[in-house]
Amino acid sequence: MADRRIENLAAARLWAAARFPYLASGVFGAQVISEPDSGTVSVDQNWRLRADPELIAAWTPAQLGSVLIHHVCHLLRTHGERAQAAGVGDHEARTWVRAADAEINDDLVPAGLDLPGRPVLPQDLGADDGLLAEQYFEGIRGGRRPPPAGVRGGRWGDGGVRSGQSESGETAGAWLDCGSGADGMPRPGEGPGGLAGWQADLLRRQVAQDVIAHGKQPGTVPAGLLRWAEEILHPKVDWRRLLAAELRRAVAQVAGAVDYSYRRPSRRSAVAGDVVLPALRRPVPEVAVVCDTSGSMTEDLLAMVLAEVEGLLRALGLARQVRVLACDTAVAPAQRVTSARQVQLIGGGGTDMGAGIAAAMALRPRPAVTVVLTDGYTPWPHRAPKGTRVVVGLLGAGAPDAPPWARAVRVEPD
Amino acid sequence: MSVAPPGSNPTVEALGVAVAARVPVLLWGAPGTGKTSAIRAMAQAMGLPCETVIASIREPSDFAGLPIVVGDQVRFAPPAWARRLADAGHGLLFLDELSTAPPAVQAALLRVVLERAVGDLTLPDEVAVVAAANPPEQAADGWDLSAPLANRLCHLDWQTDPRAVADGLAGGWAAPVVPALPAGWQAEEVLSRGLVAAFLHVRPALACAPPSDAASAGRGWPSPRTWEMAARLMAAAGAAGSGDEARSALVRGAVGDGAGVEFLAWLIEMDLPDPEEVLADPASFRLPERGDRAYAALAAIAAAVAADPTPERWTAGWQVLGLAAEAAPDVAAVAARVLARCRPQGAALPAEIKLFAPVLRDAGLLQA
Repeated sequence: MADRRIENLAAARLWAAARFPYLASGVFGAQVISEPDSGTVSVDQNWRLRADPELIAAWTPAQLGSVLIHHVCHLLRTHGERAQAAGVGDHEARTWVRAADAEINDDLVPAGLDLPGRPVLPQDLGADDGLLAEQYFEGIRGGRRPPPAGVRGGRWGDGGVRSGQSESGETAGAWLDCGSGADGMPRPGEGPGGLAGWQADLLRRQVAQDVIAHGKQPGTVPAGLLRWAEEILHPKVDWRRLLAAELRRAVAQVAGAVDYSYRRPSRRSAVAGDVVLPALRRPVPEVAVVCDTSGSMTEDLLAMVLAEVEGLLRALGLARQVRVLACDTAVAPAQRVTSARQVQLIGGGGTDMGAGIAAAMALRPRPAVTVVLTDGYTPWPHRAPKGTRVVVGLLGAGAPDAPPWARAVRVEPD
Repeated sequence: MSVAPPGSNPTVEALGVAVAARVPVLLWGAPGTGKTSAIRAMAQAMGLPCETVIASIREPSDFAGLPIVVGDQVRFAPPAWARRLADAGHGLLFLDELSTAPPAVQAALLRVVLERAVGDLTLPDEVAVVAAANPPEQAADGWDLSAPLANRLCHLDWQTDPRAVADGLAGGWAAPVVPALPAGWQAEEVLSRGLVAAFLHVRPALACAPPSDAASAGRGWPSPRTWEMAARLMAAAGAAGSGDEARSALVRGAVGDGAGVEFLAWLIEMDLPDPEEVLADPASFRLPERGDRAYAALAAIAAAVAADPTPERWTAGWQVLGLAAEAAPDVAAVAARVLARCRPQGAALPAEIKLFAPVLRDAGLLQA
């Protein structure tokens, strides 16, 4: 609950909850602690907000409320964890926080956030609105625009608002340390307590639900927040993971399907007397990859997915059993390729993946797993081909569905 | 709310509870992160015999029993490790490298994991089953766990804490502690089963939801069996006095992340006061301590009044806000704005309304 020694806190939270009702659960969920002489307002990853009462006494409720919203957004968007995942080192923490600030501010400042000082906006980083902190960060790190010099002095307690007005003019957002909730670097004195990870997850979901509920009335919630909430409630699974799992499953089912064989006696027959025991045989499946090379395919995406498929099969120990067929309406002869780039997109308009699958079935030895990479605009056989498992990679956004007998994975360019 | 002591690892705590409750548990983690040594140390600390069986180098007959012809019968002879555990009467069966076991071996493991049956031999109830696996993307020759086998295990993610590694290298690894469950802890299972049952009445779709894609098939997913497992684990975690985070890990490990999170959110929701009861007796209202819970409770009460604004309910709503205004003026003021907008005809202005004027004015929300 709120620390009463902070003036204006109640009014600030009320302002925040009234202006951004969809973030109210988050605003009230953060515990506010008074920390005199810290010279900043910061958050840690356990939803504790430490504020220097002297610093914020000069702010209006709207300004303090905006800082609360800003910090809650750091927590909602898990900037601390993401900084660790992105491998942000100690010396880059400031840069990361600027990138994270830009991710938050790009749609909340237009929605009425009234931050003290001048907030970091994407154009300060030479970037467009609507990107992720990681993308802004890469942009800065890539040297397109170095962070302003002299921003990073002592990070804690060197006199509060390092607002740019003094020496570096209008340096955007160089005004306070947002804390470990923004950059993932633990600060001294954080200790245990606050919200545990799973409680924070639940709170995050609650806010996401509120955002979606408010978003039903158009124009009330910034689009960036809506995207965030959608992603929290319906996380998009990486197609690489799905494709890997489907391929492993297809190969595993073939390899595990015919697992006992009497061709060779079991090595354990000695103990079984006159009984002939079967030995465990694991067939090594042959794999065919049928590539749609019609005009509607994009070469880069196909090459990327093909490289992924080859990598996965190599990990399964099947690299040498792979044959690749290029197919539009006619099928080019099977080729053993060593690199995805060797596949040429030569086809014209029409496509028939049925012809490609039939050609794969005619190969000897017959492939036990057939991977079809297509944009989906193709006729399919009515029935599943016999003796092979089909995994379909549907390339591109909005590709039509694959037939129900095939396992399909949607691949959308990231 | 119980808070884990500093330095303790909720995954390790959850592992201890699962072993104490004799629920089969599977640790997922990168190779070399100390899963195997933690489990062996745990068995040693408890003084239990530990049999390690590496599933990936076994054949199905090692788990289903080796057929032996005796006269005109075929017996399925159990291997020596099973015999040793059965003779000891208790112990820990540790199935290592589960995800690199070929599908045929995984199929043979089904009965071992849940029913503790190895060939013709049934292991005693006191034998705990613990397994470890590397995520398939980290093991070169890994298979995804088959959905039926995954459904028989409580999945825990083994996280490595850099500080714990540093401490362990310097001063030896601390063995996970298996909590001693008080006698009769199973009685609490009735309560947690009741909670699960009530939740499944609200969300029947989650009673059984097999995963649709191959990637999530290898982890926990909701089914009648895993819900029962979750109820048992919750009862055991309560009896062992473990922290909320360990309890959450156990529930999510049994029924999967999606269903687990929904269930936990529902449990928290259950703790909130019922708006209708509060409106019938405003003096009974206790403000939840956490700010977001307080907000949820007051917003629910204000919404209940707004849905059916009779003068009595409206006045009762203001009384509740008056009680909350002292501890959380801002939270109560948000609800007060909702109430102010739905004043029923003929209702007298309540005295509590004055409490909110200063904070509303400060926030610039009151037109002078």
